[in-house]
Amino acid sequence: MAGLELGAKDSGSAESRVHRGVAVLDFILRLVALIATLASAIAMGTTDESLPFFTQFIRFRAKYNDLPTFTFFVVANSIVSAYLVLSLALSIFHIIRSGAQSSRVVLIFFDTGMLALLTAGASAAAAIVYLAHKGNTRTNWFAICQQFNSFCERISGSLIGSFGGIIVFILLILMSAVTLSRRH
Amino acid sequence: MDSTKASGETAINMPESKSTKAKTVVYATTKATPLPQGGGWKRGVAIFDFILRICALVAALAATTTMGTTDQTLPFFTQFFQFQASYDDLPTFTFFVVANAIASGYLVLSLPFSIVGIVRPQAAGIKLLLLILDTVLVAFTTAAAASAAAIVYLAHNGNSNTNWLAICQQFNDFCQRVSGAVVASFIAAVIFIFLVVLSAVALRRH
Repeated sequence: MAGLELGAKDSGSAESRVHRGVAVLDFILRLVALIATLASAIAMGTTDESLPFFTQFIRFRAKYNDLPTFTFFVVANSIVSAYLVLSLALSIFHIIRSGAQSSRVVLIFFDTGMLALLTAGASAAAAIVYLAHKGNTRTNWFAICQQFNSFCERISGSLIGSFGGIIVFILLILMSAVTLSRRH
Repeated sequence: MDSTKASGETAINMPESKSTKAKTVVYATTKATPLPQGGGWKRGVAIFDFILRICALVAALAATTTMGTTDQTLPFFTQFFQFQASYDDLPTFTFFVVANAIASGYLVLSLPFSIVGIVRPQAAGIKLLLLILDTVLVAFTTAAAASAAAIVYLAHNGNSNTNWLAICQQFNDFCQRVSGAVVASFIAAVIFIFLVVLSAVALRRH
Protein backbone atom coordinates (compact mmCIF):
# COMPACT_ATOMS: atom_id res chain seq x y z
CA MET A 1 0.00 0.00 0.00
CA ALA A 2 2.84 2.34 0.82
CA GLY A 3 4.38 1.73 -2.57
CA LEU A 4 1.15 2.65 -4.34
CA GLU A 5 0.60 5.73 -2.20
CA LEU A 6 4.14 6.95 -2.72
CA GLY A 7 3.32 8.47 -6.04
CA ALA A 8 6.50 7.15 -7.53
CA LYS A 9 7.51 8.10 -11.03
CA ASP A 10 6.18 4.85 -12.49
CA SER A 11 2.94 4.69 -10.56
CA GLY A 12 0.54 3.14 -13.00
CA SER A 13 2.07 2.73 -16.44
CA ALA A 14 -1.30 3.42 -18.04
CA GLU A 15 -1.35 6.81 -16.39
CA SER A 16 2.09 7.77 -17.65
CA ARG A 17 1.21 6.46 -21.10
CA VAL A 18 -1.78 8.79 -21.24
CA HIS A 19 0.43 11.66 -20.11
CA ARG A 20 3.01 10.78 -22.71
CA GLY A 21 0.33 10.70 -25.42
CA VAL A 22 -0.93 14.08 -24.30
CA ALA A 23 2.63 15.42 -24.33
CA VAL A 24 3.15 14.18 -27.91
CA LEU A 25 -0.14 15.81 -28.93
CA ASP A 26 1.06 18.99 -27.23
CA PHE A 27 4.23 18.91 -29.35
CA ILE A 28 2.27 18.37 -32.56
CA LEU A 29 -0.15 21.18 -31.74
CA ARG A 30 2.76 23.50 -31.08
CA LEU A 31 4.13 22.74 -34.53
CA VAL A 32 0.71 23.47 -36.05
CA ALA A 33 0.49 26.78 -34.19
CA LEU A 34 4.03 27.66 -35.27
CA ILE A 35 3.15 27.11 -38.93
CA ALA A 36 -0.10 29.08 -38.60
CA THR A 37 1.40 32.15 -36.90
CA LEU A 38 4.47 32.17 -39.13
CA ALA A 39 2.24 32.00 -42.22
CA SER A 40 0.14 34.87 -40.88
CA ALA A 41 3.17 37.04 -40.22
CA ILE A 42 4.62 36.37 -43.66
CA ALA A 43 1.29 36.84 -45.45
CA MET A 44 0.74 40.19 -43.79
CA GLY A 45 4.35 41.27 -44.01
CA THR A 46 4.67 40.75 -47.73
CA THR A 47 1.66 42.83 -48.72
CA ASP A 48 2.48 45.38 -51.36
CA GLU A 49 -0.06 46.48 -53.90
CA SER A 50 0.39 49.33 -56.34
CA LEU A 51 -2.54 50.56 -58.35
CA PRO A 52 -1.98 51.29 -62.03
CA PHE A 53 -3.80 54.61 -61.94
CA PHE A 54 -3.41 57.73 -59.89
CA THR A 55 -6.09 59.87 -58.30
CA GLN A 56 -5.58 62.99 -56.22
CA PHE A 57 -7.50 61.69 -53.21
CA ILE A 58 -6.17 58.20 -52.60
CA ARG A 59 -2.63 56.90 -52.36
CA PHE A 60 -1.85 54.50 -55.18
CA ARG A 61 0.14 52.06 -53.03
CA ALA A 62 -0.81 49.94 -50.04
CA LYS A 63 1.58 48.15 -47.71
CA TYR A 64 1.13 46.60 -44.30
CA ASN A 65 3.08 49.30 -42.51
CA ASP A 66 0.75 52.02 -43.75
CA LEU A 67 -1.40 51.07 -40.78
CA PRO A 68 0.34 50.80 -37.37
CA THR A 69 -2.11 48.12 -36.31
CA PHE A 70 -0.88 45.81 -39.06
CA THR A 71 2.72 46.47 -38.02
CA PHE A 72 1.75 45.39 -34.50
CA PHE A 73 0.06 42.32 -36.00
CA VAL A 74 3.23 41.26 -37.83
CA VAL A 75 5.38 41.90 -34.76
CA ALA A 76 3.02 39.99 -32.44
CA ASN A 77 2.84 36.98 -34.75
CA SER A 78 6.62 36.97 -35.10
CA ILE A 79 7.12 37.04 -31.33
CA VAL A 80 4.63 34.21 -30.85
CA SER A 81 6.34 32.16 -33.59
CA ALA A 82 9.72 32.64 -31.92
CA TYR A 83 8.24 31.65 -28.55
CA LEU A 84 6.74 28.51 -30.08
CA VAL A 85 10.12 27.48 -31.46
CA LEU A 86 11.64 27.89 -27.99
CA SER A 87 8.79 26.09 -26.25
CA LEU A 88 9.17 23.05 -28.52
CA ALA A 89 12.22 22.20 -26.41
CA LEU A 90 10.17 22.30 -23.21
CA SER A 91 7.50 20.22 -24.89
CA ILE A 92 10.03 17.54 -25.77
CA PHE A 93 11.20 17.60 -22.15
CA HIS A 94 7.62 16.92 -21.08
CA ILE A 95 7.43 13.94 -23.41
CA ILE A 96 10.53 12.48 -21.79
CA ARG A 97 9.64 13.30 -18.20
CA SER A 98 5.90 13.07 -17.76
CA GLY A 99 6.12 13.83 -14.07
CA ALA A 100 7.28 17.42 -14.31
CA GLN A 101 4.96 19.86 -12.56
CA SER A 102 6.73 23.16 -12.04
CA SER A 103 7.84 23.35 -15.65
CA ARG A 104 4.25 22.75 -16.74
CA VAL A 105 3.11 25.70 -14.61
CA VAL A 106 5.83 27.85 -16.20
CA LEU A 107 4.68 26.67 -19.62
CA ILE A 108 1.05 27.55 -18.79
CA PHE A 109 2.15 31.01 -17.62
CA PHE A 110 3.99 31.77 -20.83
CA ASP A 111 1.32 30.16 -22.99
CA THR A 112 -1.34 32.39 -21.44
CA GLY A 113 0.79 35.48 -21.97
CA MET A 114 1.41 34.56 -25.59
CA LEU A 115 -2.29 33.79 -26.06
CA ALA A 116 -3.11 37.31 -24.89
CA LEU A 117 -0.50 38.84 -27.22
CA LEU A 118 -1.67 36.80 -30.21
CA THR A 119 -5.34 37.59 -29.55
CA ALA A 120 -4.57 41.27 -29.17
CA GLY A 121 -2.73 41.39 -32.51
CA ALA A 122 -5.31 39.32 -34.34
CA SER A 123 -8.37 41.18 -33.05
CA ALA A 124 -6.87 44.64 -33.56
CA ALA A 125 -6.03 43.70 -37.15
CA ALA A 126 -9.52 42.21 -37.54
CA ALA A 127 -11.07 45.51 -36.46
CA ILE A 128 -9.03 47.41 -39.05
CA VAL A 129 -9.75 44.81 -41.74
CA TYR A 130 -13.47 45.11 -41.02
CA LEU A 131 -13.16 48.86 -41.34
CA ALA A 132 -11.26 48.50 -44.59
CA HIS A 133 -14.00 46.29 -46.00
CA LYS A 134 -17.03 48.21 -44.83
CA GLY A 135 -15.86 51.71 -44.03
CA ASN A 136 -17.87 53.81 -41.63
CA THR A 137 -20.31 56.46 -42.74
CA ARG A 138 -20.65 58.09 -39.34
CA THR A 139 -16.94 58.82 -39.02
CA ASN A 140 -16.38 59.41 -42.74
CA TRP A 141 -13.90 56.58 -42.97
CA PHE A 142 -13.78 55.30 -46.52
CA ALA A 143 -13.64 51.57 -47.32
CA ILE A 144 -10.22 51.20 -48.94
CA CYS A 145 -10.95 47.64 -50.08
CA GLN A 146 -12.92 48.99 -52.99
CA GLN A 147 -9.65 50.14 -54.51
CA PHE A 148 -7.10 47.68 -53.16
CA ASN A 149 -8.60 44.25 -53.83
CA SER A 150 -5.51 42.08 -53.65
CA PHE A 151 -4.21 43.89 -50.56
CA CYS A 152 -7.55 43.34 -48.85
CA GLU A 153 -7.66 39.66 -49.72
CA ARG A 154 -4.14 39.20 -48.34
CA ILE A 155 -4.81 40.92 -45.03
CA SER A 156 -8.11 39.10 -44.57
CA GLY A 157 -6.52 35.73 -45.27
CA SER A 158 -3.62 36.31 -42.91
CA LEU A 159 -6.09 36.65 -40.07
CA ILE A 160 -7.18 33.04 -40.49
CA GLY A 161 -3.81 31.61 -39.49
CA SER A 162 -3.67 33.86 -36.47
CA PHE A 163 -7.12 32.90 -35.23
CA GLY A 164 -6.30 29.23 -35.76
CA GLY A 165 -3.23 29.79 -33.60
CA ILE A 166 -5.45 31.24 -30.87
CA ILE A 167 -7.61 28.11 -30.79
CA VAL A 168 -4.52 25.90 -30.68
CA PHE A 169 -3.12 27.91 -27.75
CA ILE A 170 -6.37 27.47 -25.81
CA LEU A 171 -6.15 23.72 -26.46
CA LEU A 172 -2.52 23.68 -25.31
CA ILE A 173 -3.32 25.43 -22.03
CA LEU A 174 -6.28 23.11 -21.51
CA MET A 175 -4.15 20.01 -22.03
CA SER A 176 -1.40 21.23 -19.73
CA ALA A 177 -3.95 21.99 -17.01
CA VAL A 178 -5.63 18.59 -17.34
CA THR A 179 -2.26 16.86 -17.16
CA LEU A 180 -1.38 18.90 -14.05
CA SER A 181 -4.58 17.99 -12.24
CA ARG A 182 -4.46 14.29 -13.03
CA ARG A 183 -1.21 13.46 -11.24
CA HIS A 184 -1.80 10.98 -8.47
CA MET B 1 -1.03 -0.06 11.83
CA ASP B 2 -2.60 2.25 14.36
CA SER B 3 -1.37 5.33 12.61
CA THR B 4 -3.82 4.71 9.78
CA LYS B 5 -6.71 5.18 12.18
CA ALA B 6 -5.34 8.11 14.08
CA SER B 7 -5.44 11.73 12.96
CA GLY B 8 -2.60 13.35 11.05
CA GLU B 9 -1.04 14.96 14.14
CA THR B 10 -0.25 11.78 16.00
CA ALA B 11 1.16 10.08 12.90
CA ILE B 12 3.90 12.73 12.67
CA ASN B 13 5.61 11.30 15.73
CA MET B 14 6.22 8.04 13.94
CA PRO B 15 9.28 8.88 11.77
CA GLU B 16 11.49 9.49 14.82
CA SER B 17 11.38 5.84 15.85
CA LYS B 18 10.85 3.96 12.62
CA SER B 19 12.62 3.77 9.29
CA THR B 20 11.79 5.78 6.18
CA LYS B 21 9.04 3.34 5.37
CA ALA B 22 7.01 4.89 8.17
CA LYS B 23 7.45 8.34 6.69
CA THR B 24 5.72 7.26 3.51
CA VAL B 25 2.90 5.86 5.59
CA VAL B 26 2.52 9.25 7.24
CA TYR B 27 2.07 10.96 3.93
CA ALA B 28 -0.33 8.27 2.86
CA THR B 29 -2.56 8.55 5.90
CA THR B 30 -2.78 12.29 5.73
CA LYS B 31 -4.28 12.04 2.29
CA ALA B 32 -7.75 11.59 3.70
CA THR B 33 -7.48 14.44 6.18
CA PRO B 34 -5.64 17.37 4.57
CA LEU B 35 -2.44 18.61 6.15
CA PRO B 36 -3.06 21.92 7.93
CA GLN B 37 -0.16 23.68 6.19
CA GLY B 38 -1.01 22.20 2.76
CA GLY B 39 -4.69 23.02 3.06
CA GLY B 40 -3.94 26.48 4.41
CA TRP B 41 -1.70 27.34 1.48
CA LYS B 42 -4.31 26.22 -1.05
CA ARG B 43 -6.99 28.04 0.88
CA GLY B 44 -4.95 31.25 0.72
CA VAL B 45 -4.55 30.84 -3.02
CA ALA B 46 -8.31 30.25 -3.36
CA ILE B 47 -9.10 33.37 -1.34
CA PHE B 48 -6.71 35.40 -3.50
CA ASP B 49 -8.45 33.92 -6.55
CA PHE B 50 -11.82 35.10 -5.20
CA ILE B 51 -10.51 38.62 -4.55
CA LEU B 52 -9.02 38.80 -8.05
CA ARG B 53 -12.34 37.72 -9.53
CA ILE B 54 -14.11 40.58 -7.76
CA CYS B 55 -11.50 43.04 -9.05
CA ALA B 56 -11.93 41.70 -12.60
CA LEU B 57 -15.70 42.00 -12.22
CA VAL B 58 -15.37 45.64 -11.21
CA ALA B 59 -13.07 46.35 -14.15
CA ALA B 60 -15.28 44.59 -16.71
CA LEU B 61 -18.43 46.27 -15.40
CA ALA B 62 -16.71 49.65 -15.50
CA ALA B 63 -15.63 49.04 -19.10
CA THR B 64 -19.14 47.98 -20.15
CA THR B 65 -20.95 50.87 -18.54
CA THR B 66 -18.42 53.50 -19.57
CA MET B 67 -18.57 52.43 -23.20
CA GLY B 68 -22.29 51.80 -23.18
CA THR B 69 -23.20 55.23 -21.90
CA THR B 70 -21.21 57.22 -24.43
CA ASP B 71 -23.32 59.78 -26.17
CA GLN B 72 -21.86 63.08 -27.16
CA THR B 73 -23.70 65.66 -29.21
CA LEU B 74 -21.75 68.56 -30.59
CA PRO B 75 -23.38 71.97 -30.28
CA PHE B 76 -22.56 72.92 -33.88
CA PHE B 77 -23.24 71.36 -37.21
CA THR B 78 -20.92 70.96 -40.18
CA GLN B 79 -21.72 69.39 -43.50
CA PHE B 80 -18.91 66.80 -43.26
CA PHE B 81 -19.28 65.27 -39.79
CA GLN B 82 -22.08 63.69 -37.87
CA PHE B 83 -22.77 65.88 -34.90
CA GLN B 84 -23.50 62.97 -32.59
CA ALA B 85 -21.20 60.17 -31.48
CA SER B 86 -22.30 57.07 -29.60
CA TYR B 87 -20.80 53.65 -29.10
CA ASP B 88 -23.03 51.93 -31.63
CA ASP B 89 -21.73 54.11 -34.45
CA LEU B 90 -18.83 51.69 -34.66
CA PRO B 91 -19.57 47.93 -34.74
CA THR B 92 -16.28 47.26 -32.96
CA PHE B 93 -17.47 49.21 -29.94
CA THR B 94 -20.75 47.31 -29.96
CA PHE B 95 -18.74 44.07 -29.85
CA PHE B 96 -16.70 45.59 -27.02
CA VAL B 97 -19.78 46.30 -24.92
CA VAL B 98 -21.24 42.84 -25.58
CA ALA B 99 -17.97 41.04 -24.83
CA ASN B 100 -17.37 42.89 -21.57
CA ALA B 101 -20.97 42.26 -20.54
CA ILE B 102 -20.46 38.55 -21.16
CA ALA B 103 -17.20 38.66 -19.16
CA SER B 104 -18.98 40.39 -16.26
CA GLY B 105 -21.79 37.84 -16.34
CA TYR B 106 -19.31 34.96 -16.36
CA LEU B 107 -17.44 36.46 -13.41
CA VAL B 108 -20.64 36.81 -11.41
CA LEU B 109 -21.52 33.18 -12.14
CA SER B 110 -18.02 31.95 -11.28
CA LEU B 111 -18.00 33.58 -7.83
CA PRO B 112 -19.94 30.69 -6.20
CA PHE B 113 -17.54 28.18 -7.76
CA SER B 114 -14.64 30.17 -6.38
CA ILE B 115 -16.24 30.11 -2.93
CA VAL B 116 -16.57 26.33 -3.21
CA GLY B 117 -12.86 26.28 -4.03
CA ILE B 118 -12.16 28.16 -0.80
CA VAL B 119 -14.30 25.89 1.32
CA ARG B 120 -12.91 22.70 -0.24
CA PRO B 121 -9.29 23.33 -1.26
CA GLN B 122 -8.90 19.80 -2.58
CA ALA B 123 -11.62 20.05 -5.22
CA ALA B 124 -9.61 19.83 -8.42
CA GLY B 125 -12.52 19.45 -10.82
CA ILE B 126 -13.91 22.89 -10.06
CA LYS B 127 -10.50 24.53 -10.35
CA LEU B 128 -9.94 22.82 -13.69
CA LEU B 129 -13.32 23.97 -15.00
CA LEU B 130 -12.65 27.54 -13.88
CA LEU B 131 -9.20 27.43 -15.47
CA ILE B 132 -10.57 26.32 -18.83
CA LEU B 133 -13.32 28.94 -18.85
CA ASP B 134 -10.88 31.62 -17.66
CA THR B 135 -8.57 30.79 -20.55
CA VAL B 136 -11.37 31.20 -23.06
CA LEU B 137 -12.27 34.48 -21.45
CA VAL B 138 -8.68 35.73 -21.55
CA ALA B 139 -8.89 35.39 -25.32
CA PHE B 140 -12.37 36.89 -25.48
CA THR B 141 -11.65 39.92 -23.30
CA THR B 142 -8.30 40.59 -24.96
CA ALA B 143 -9.98 40.42 -28.36
CA ALA B 144 -12.60 42.97 -27.35
CA ALA B 145 -10.08 45.29 -25.69
CA ALA B 146 -7.52 45.12 -28.50
CA SER B 147 -10.00 45.67 -31.32
CA ALA B 148 -11.48 48.66 -29.51
CA ALA B 149 -7.95 49.93 -28.84
CA ALA B 150 -7.18 49.75 -32.57
CA ILE B 151 -10.26 51.86 -33.36
CA VAL B 152 -9.46 54.29 -30.53
CA TYR B 153 -5.91 54.67 -31.84
CA LEU B 154 -7.34 55.40 -35.26
CA ALA B 155 -9.79 57.91 -33.79
CA HIS B 156 -6.97 59.69 -31.98
CA ASN B 157 -4.40 59.75 -34.77
CA GLY B 158 -6.25 59.15 -38.02
CA ASN B 159 -4.36 57.70 -40.96
CA SER B 160 -3.05 59.80 -43.81
CA ASN B 161 -2.41 56.81 -46.07
CA THR B 162 -6.05 55.74 -46.09
CA ASN B 163 -7.55 59.21 -45.73
CA TRP B 164 -9.14 58.40 -42.40
CA LEU B 165 -9.62 61.51 -40.29
CA ALA B 166 -9.03 61.65 -36.56
CA ILE B 167 -12.50 62.14 -35.11
CA CYS B 168 -11.16 62.80 -31.63
CA GLN B 169 -10.37 66.34 -32.63
CA GLN B 170 -14.10 66.98 -32.69
CA PHE B 171 -15.44 64.56 -30.09
CA ASN B 172 -13.20 65.06 -27.07
CA ASP B 173 -15.49 63.74 -24.36
CA PHE B 174 -16.48 60.70 -26.40
CA CYS B 175 -12.82 59.88 -27.02
CA GLN B 176 -11.90 60.20 -23.36
CA ARG B 177 -14.70 57.88 -22.24
CA VAL B 178 -13.89 55.34 -24.88
CA SER B 179 -10.17 55.36 -24.06
CA GLY B 180 -10.96 54.89 -20.37
CA ALA B 181 -13.22 51.95 -21.15
CA VAL B 182 -10.47 50.29 -23.20
CA VAL B 183 -8.00 50.69 -20.32
CA ALA B 184 -10.48 49.10 -17.89
CA SER B 185 -10.99 46.19 -20.26
CA PHE B 186 -7.25 45.60 -20.56
CA ILE B 187 -7.01 45.55 -16.76
CA ALA B 188 -9.72 42.90 -16.69
CA ALA B 189 -7.82 40.85 -19.29
CA VAL B 190 -4.59 41.01 -17.25
CA ILE B 191 -6.48 39.91 -14.13
CA PHE B 192 -7.88 36.97 -16.12
CA ILE B 193 -4.31 35.96 -17.00
CA PHE B 194 -3.39 36.06 -13.31
CA LEU B 195 -6.44 33.92 -12.53
CA VAL B 196 -5.35 31.28 -15.05
CA VAL B 197 -1.82 31.11 -13.65
CA LEU B 198 -3.16 31.02 -10.08
CA SER B 199 -5.49 28.15 -10.89
CA ALA B 200 -2.62 26.30 -12.57
CA VAL B 201 -0.43 26.75 -9.48
CA ALA B 202 -3.25 25.58 -7.20
CA LEU B 203 -3.92 22.53 -9.38
CA ARG B 204 -0.55 20.97 -8.67
CA ARG B 205 -0.64 17.84 -6.60
CA HIS B 206 2.33 17.30 -4.35
